[in-house]
Amino acid sequence: MDRLLVVRCPDLLDEDEGGAVLRSFAEVIAAVEAYCPWVTAVRAGVCSLPARGPARYFGGEGALADLVQEAAEQVTPAEVGVADGLFAAVLAARRGLIVPAGGTPAFLAPLPVAALGQDDLTGLLDRLGIRTLGGFAALPDPHVLGRFGADGAHAHRVAGGRSGELADLRQPRVARLLVGDPAEEGPAVTEPGFWGGMSDADARAARCLSAAQELLGTDGVVTVRLQGGRSPAERARFVTWAAGGPMRGAVPGAARSRAGGSGAPWPGRIPEPAPAVVHPEPVRADLADALGEPVRVSARGLLATVPDRLSVEGGPWEPLSGWAGPWPSDERWWSRSRRRGARLQVVTDRAAHLLLVERGRWWVEATYG
Amino acid sequence: MFVTAPDRRLARDLDPATLAALSALSERTRPVAASRTRLLPVVPELAGMLPDGALRRGSTLTIGRPGDDGALSLALSLVAAASASGSWCALVGHPALGAVAAADLGVDLGRLALLPRPGAAWAEATAAVLEGVDLVVLCPPFAPRQAMARRLVARARERKAVLIVVPGRAGWPEPPDLQLRVDGATWEGVDAGDGHLRRRRMTVTATGRRSAARPTHHRLWLPGPDGTVATAGDADDPAA
Repeated sequence: MDRLLVVRCPDLLDEDEGGAVLRSFAEVIAAVEAYCPWVTAVRAGVCSLPARGPARYFGGEGALADLVQEAAEQVTPAEVGVADGLFAAVLAARRGLIVPAGGTPAFLAPLPVAALGQDDLTGLLDRLGIRTLGGFAALPDPHVLGRFGADGAHAHRVAGGRSGELADLRQPRVARLLVGDPAEEGPAVTEPGFWGGMSDADARAARCLSAAQELLGTDGVVTVRLQGGRSPAERARFVTWAAGGPMRGAVPGAARSRAGGSGAPWPGRIPEPAPAVVHPEPVRADLADALGEPVRVSARGLLATVPDRLSVEGGPWEPLSGWAGPWPSDERWWSRSRRRGARLQVVTDRAAHLLLVERGRWWVEATYG
Repeated sequence: MFVTAPDRRLARDLDPATLAALSALSERTRPVAASRTRLLPVVPELAGMLPDGALRRGSTLTIGRPGDDGALSLALSLVAAASASGSWCALVGHPALGAVAAADLGVDLGRLALLPRPGAAWAEATAAVLEGVDLVVLCPPFAPRQAMARRLVARARERKAVLIVVPGRAGWPEPPDLQLRVDGATWEGVDAGDGHLRRRRMTVTATGRRSAARPTHHRLWLPGPDGTVATAGDADDPAA
């Protein structure tokens, strides 16, 4: 499960009509992005970032949490926490805790069932005399599935720290608003139904994927759709697989989208071909010139020195056999402190990477695997 | 179609040219009908490296290389044609798929299921998807024990699925029906600051079993400039 750092701003949890809350929250995100470009708006007042890569830069999760909190508090009071999975990380943030890796089940156990935010479930469990997440998690799986259904079974996995997040934890509308993502959700084209219109092959696949979900948890099986965007990561949206749910044709015409052609709508998009590996979490990189000094990017998005060697995740230096770019990545138009970033393609003897640089820090965003 | 007795008498009276044409027709259609159930299509550029010119249902392939460069792309391009013609695919154990690249290689994302982080349950999860998915690309997150690998190979055979293993550092202890190795992957298009990555040349060495045991070498652009796979000629390709 992903290690997540969550920033929770108690004063920004409820949107107002004028949009002032979301504007302040956008400033918080911009401030936090100084430490990691992979910030996700979870819902109004709550954002998350993967902790592992950035913690390597800043001397551990504790140091990272302090820095991020300080940055966010320049805008508004903020609580920061780290744990495995989004659900636990939000609860950790409310308590200002860093839950050690693997310690999430123990952290969740004494918390009240109401933390799941599902009133019906809380009521049912209360009548059974179960009041803590640990007590709920201790119920055997088959029992929970039979008595509380699929949603209850998922909540059960979350309560035990086996699954990362509840379905209604996120407000995708807020996330879209804040990253300025013009890709509309679009009307989901629902399959004609599980029994009608589905071929034998589709039905067989649906059955075995459901079986895999029982094994791995609902979010263990996902499917992917393409959408508009500049970077390879922005162009893919991963959604939990659902039997008979919107699958094929959910995004019309997106099956083969090409950067080329006349009206490529995304200035700054990296030319084809696309990388086969897009890292879901930022991977730390160091890029140095021939003298071993870090390569910097000017305010206008130009390289100040010539890249010569690359180190990935603190590994050994590898000489570059070629590089190309930079392409400006001037995203987040809404942000007052516009992010000045750039992308660079680099080739070593072992691989070709797409690097992202922001505020002097380099990350491996994708690998042409 | 049933043939009635008068028709059969009639057939005997047909002129030799018609009979020859009919028998040629039956020769041509019969194996195709049989192979449709036995083989899954691949794009023409990859047909040459497969003993049957297609993926044989029930078989296991491995795609290896000393580093990581190119193995995932080759696996995705192998499943593309089957996926586009209606087969379901699953990718197990790869947490970082580049979806745009997969789509550009021709994979139908609407029939691609991802099990990105199966963790310790990776073998069980793979066995589960082999039940109902035609092609499974497996990147084992941990080194598989031989018994486990053998069970998955047997499951693929029994369910008439194709199992494509990209062992990476984890390894794969069971000899596959076909072993593909990616060598000499080299990117073209970038210099010191100029251009952009355009295409990657690679050589794929295929080693089969029994009659296909002699290694064959195949030069490819993977990906080519448009993101798809192309056959590579000699070093000075005019398309460069």
